[in-house]
Amino acid sequence: MKNLILSMAALGISASAALAQNVAIITPFLAQPGTQAYVSAFEAEAKAKGWTVNVIDTAGDVAAVISRIEDSVTQKVDAIVINVDPAQVAAGLQTAADAKIPVIGMDAGADPLLVTNVTSNGYAMAAETSVYVANRIGGAGNVVMFVFDAFPPVQVRGAVADAVFANHPDITVLDRVTPDVQDGGIADSRAKMEAILAANPEPGSIKAVWAAWDQPALGALQAIEAAGRTGEGIVITGIDANPQAREAIAAGGNFEASMAQDFAGIGKATFAATADAIAGKTILSKVMYVPTVLITAGNAAQ
Amino acid sequence: MIPVLRHLGTLIGLLVIMLFFAAQLPDTFLTPRNLINISQQIAMLAVVAFTMTVVMVMNDFDLSVGSTASLAGIVAAVLFAMGVPIWVGVGAALAAGILGGLINGALVAFLGILPFVATLGTLTIFSGLAFFISGGETIFGRDIPKPFAEFARSGVPLDGVGLEGAQLPYLTIVAIATLALVWVTLEHTVFGRKLYAIGGNTEAARLAGIDVARARLAAFAITGFGAAVAGLMYASRVASANPTQGAGLMLDAIAAVFLGMTMGKQGEPRVLATLVGVLILGILDNGLTQMQVDSYVREMLVGSIVIAAVAISSLGRRA
Amino acid sequence: MPDIIKFSGLTKRYGAACVLDDASLLLVGGRVHALMGENGAGKSTLIKMIAGVLRPDQMTARKNGQDLALRSQADAMAAGFRFIHQEMNIVPQLSVAENILLGLPTPTRWGGLVDWPEMARRAANALHQLGAPALNMRRAAGSLSPVERMLVKLAAAFVSHEGAQAPCLYVLDEPTAVLSQTEAEALFAVIARLKSQGAAILYVSHRLNEVMQICDDVTVLRNGRAVMTAPLANTSKDDIILAMTGRAVDDAFPPRPKPVVWDFGDDVICSAQYVATKSLSDLNFTLRAGEILGIGGLAAAGQTALLRLFLGLERPHKGMAKLMRTAVPQSPSAAWARGVAYIPQERRTEGLMMAMGTRPNAMLPHYKGIFARLRNERVQTADLTARLGITAAGPEQPVWQLSGGNQQKVIFARALAQPPRLLLLDDPTRGVDVGAKYEIYSLIRALSAKGCAVLLASSDLPELLGLSDRILVLQSGRQTGILKTDGLEPSDLLRAFYAAQPAAKSLISELI
Repeated sequence: MKNLILSMAALGISASAALAQNVAIITPFLAQPGTQAYVSAFEAEAKAKGWTVNVIDTAGDVAAVISRIEDSVTQKVDAIVINVDPAQVAAGLQTAADAKIPVIGMDAGADPLLVTNVTSNGYAMAAETSVYVANRIGGAGNVVMFVFDAFPPVQVRGAVADAVFANHPDITVLDRVTPDVQDGGIADSRAKMEAILAANPEPGSIKAVWAAWDQPALGALQAIEAAGRTGEGIVITGIDANPQAREAIAAGGNFEASMAQDFAGIGKATFAATADAIAGKTILSKVMYVPTVLITAGNAAQ
Repeated sequence: MIPVLRHLGTLIGLLVIMLFFAAQLPDTFLTPRNLINISQQIAMLAVVAFTMTVVMVMNDFDLSVGSTASLAGIVAAVLFAMGVPIWVGVGAALAAGILGGLINGALVAFLGILPFVATLGTLTIFSGLAFFISGGETIFGRDIPKPFAEFARSGVPLDGVGLEGAQLPYLTIVAIATLALVWVTLEHTVFGRKLYAIGGNTEAARLAGIDVARARLAAFAITGFGAAVAGLMYASRVASANPTQGAGLMLDAIAAVFLGMTMGKQGEPRVLATLVGVLILGILDNGLTQMQVDSYVREMLVGSIVIAAVAISSLGRRA
Repeated sequence: MPDIIKFSGLTKRYGAACVLDDASLLLVGGRVHALMGENGAGKSTLIKMIAGVLRPDQMTARKNGQDLALRSQADAMAAGFRFIHQEMNIVPQLSVAENILLGLPTPTRWGGLVDWPEMARRAANALHQLGAPALNMRRAAGSLSPVERMLVKLAAAFVSHEGAQAPCLYVLDEPTAVLSQTEAEALFAVIARLKSQGAAILYVSHRLNEVMQICDDVTVLRNGRAVMTAPLANTSKDDIILAMTGRAVDDAFPPRPKPVVWDFGDDVICSAQYVATKSLSDLNFTLRAGEILGIGGLAAAGQTALLRLFLGLERPHKGMAKLMRTAVPQSPSAAWARGVAYIPQERRTEGLMMAMGTRPNAMLPHYKGIFARLRNERVQTADLTARLGITAAGPEQPVWQLSGGNQQKVIFARALAQPPRLLLLDDPTRGVDVGAKYEIYSLIRALSAKGCAVLLASSDLPELLGLSDRILVLQSGRQTGILKTDGLEPSDLLRAFYAAQPAAKSLISELI
């Protein structure tokens, strides 16, 4: 216990001795690979400039984000970066605004209380993969969708895909599945997909699987492989292009396409926006988009 | 020395933690604004932990409080989205909490299912119900009435006591009111006496003419009600409702009660001791964030403190 | 040459209080030595010290002239001491054989699998060597009767590692408290066997008759001192009582007032006509105000069930059972509300909130209204504590810190806090010393003299005969008769317990 207190004391001293800019990054989603990527990129940039960055993960608890924003305001940090729906933490944002501490969204959502929000264009990504699916199956057939409406950025993707498929009269959405994501999403998506495959045994009765992110796509791929139905040409797409997804796409199987967000780019752009905000520069655009790339077998290895 | 450590060790621990932060963060920790912040940050946990104390007095516990809280938030938000008045939505959410508590109580009291199993089951059921009613979506934005969201951001102005511009948050007031109610119930009513007797020896209490089943039912209803109140506070604070948002409350609440139980003369839960447990958890979160300690280190520290407190108290008991 | 085990200078202090004060004890192989004394005299402390559980302030232990160090339970085990405690710690989920061999390495076969037949053989052998009746080795120990549990614990104490020191001392702490007369006889037979094998036995009991029957020597503790050590051959019961209490007790039972039936005008408190429940049948009796009706029978003949009929825990499905002219209550809370008070058999598991004080324990059934009235409760508790002579450091001292007799008085305080109309007593003096017993008997008498009806179940025959006006006899839950106690002898009562059970009859002729 004594040692613990000593080391805590050491931490405290090193923190208070830090110079330059002091920034807090607060997120409930640090366990997500994407979040980790842009946080790392942000930290790398900050380190080069000698900033102090405190990364706070509230492990899924949104109200705790508000609490941690309040704590950071008390501590008088120079800026706060959040990675959570700003509408849910408005109480914290108001506190920061009252203390005149700028808050920047990193893949968060647009809000008047944010200086700006740096993100990928979710609408565009979903449109790109859903149009890819529609084209690959010739605008006709049954499609299974994996969505997650509880998380606004992913909900947006589902809504766009809904619109794209609805615009093709011969495409039928067979099922719109919300997988249980507590274990990461692959296992439960696989189980759900297996059930759907069992219910639709005819070859060709399922033309494609559109997933709002990569994990369900990987789960669906495993289910199709396990069912021995890889030869039916079921097209699978994901979004995010995480390493596991890239590998699957590069292998040339059913998993054909995903969207690569430039996570590092988001981190860097957020850093730039944060630096501008601290310097007092005016940022006009409330949303800053970082470009995305369609990943297929051709460029998956890059 | 040892008896003092046994009963007051946890309280001393709280004071040590506060002194440590006060020394490390001289400018920001012991300021009225920060203390008000802490009181508001721990308000939801406090309400759940206080009412959790009621069932833990009987040696039972309720694992479903987190999902009850989520469900209450969702019930209110869904009704708000349908355009009902705020009081109807809030009333329905509280009723859902009481009903959930009564279901837990009935399972434990009348069917004799172990509280762990019964409330583990209802945890899943209530969580599923919250997803079902909300369609899995976060309900936010225009669906949440402004006064409801404003509640968590406002309070009673403290200008009168020399704190210009500061206010005592309504969330804090709700937590204090809950504390007072639970304290009176446990310490000064016949019902509370009966709960402690049941915790002391359930069979003896039954044979001595205590209607154990009815007391259990009522106690679980109180815990369910508390969870619903906390769920509404949470929904108001984040101005939205999500079917999983209360999930983190359960373990922290149980940990707070356990921390408090180390102060009981015979290791029994007391609601004022639970308050000490809640304060320890809340102040650690606040202080360590300000000291920029890694959030994962914070979690390990909280776990270690719970174990250390319980270990010190049980070692003291053995001597 | 028998073993000679000598403990001397036994001393233990807690602060200013001296629990044991230079006591000594001499045990000889092949003899049964009784250790007696009122609660708080230091018996348990002495046993815990020689068991290596409690660290003595001072103690010398010698076996055949050699010093023994008893610093831990393992030391005591190695010295050949075996302890059979009042609370019998069998593991209910495990089989009889496993319980008997619990402390030993499990016999194995086929590279590590449990050798069940070998286990059963060894365990059965242990029971056989004790002269105990055979048991089914595969039965779960939880389903055993109290005496069978006792025998299993004895057998477990008896078996030891091959080649290891054979047990030389058995300490039995209140072994008959949970046994009926017949069961106790079976235990005595085993004790005789152990004795004939040359072991020393330290027998702790409150029951004078038993001690006179089976022991060879006695040591009496009073206030932590050994005030008397003598062979029983030339010692009388009165000598022992005098030594224990420091005063002569004229009569073990307070005098019975003259029959009260007329005084209370034939007020029927409870009655049964042809009542049957799941475990009871043929109940036919009336109990009037001021009367004490004993319930007798062999162990577990339905005594507890009969009491619980009026506590709302046994549902009559036949006949008419009434409490004060209306149907029997449906739950204990309803029963207490109608003036029934219940003293359960197991005071630890069924009676007391051990971690709480006298006040909450005594007041529990009598809470009224919404808000608790602490001052009122304190006044009432102080009054009860004085009336019952409860020795406690205050109304909030946890009852686990009190002696057995005081704990039992706390349960009586609960029953007396509001004068009951019907008092249900289930073995009310189990594990209570002679002095406290007499006080409890006086209480029961005083209550009945005020018109309280009493249903008294007891496994103690003299108690049943000494207190009851009439005794209702149960056989496997069936009422087989009601006997007037005037002029009734214990043997008559036992005969009634066994009547029309041919198999048992032959057994009793052996025992009596």
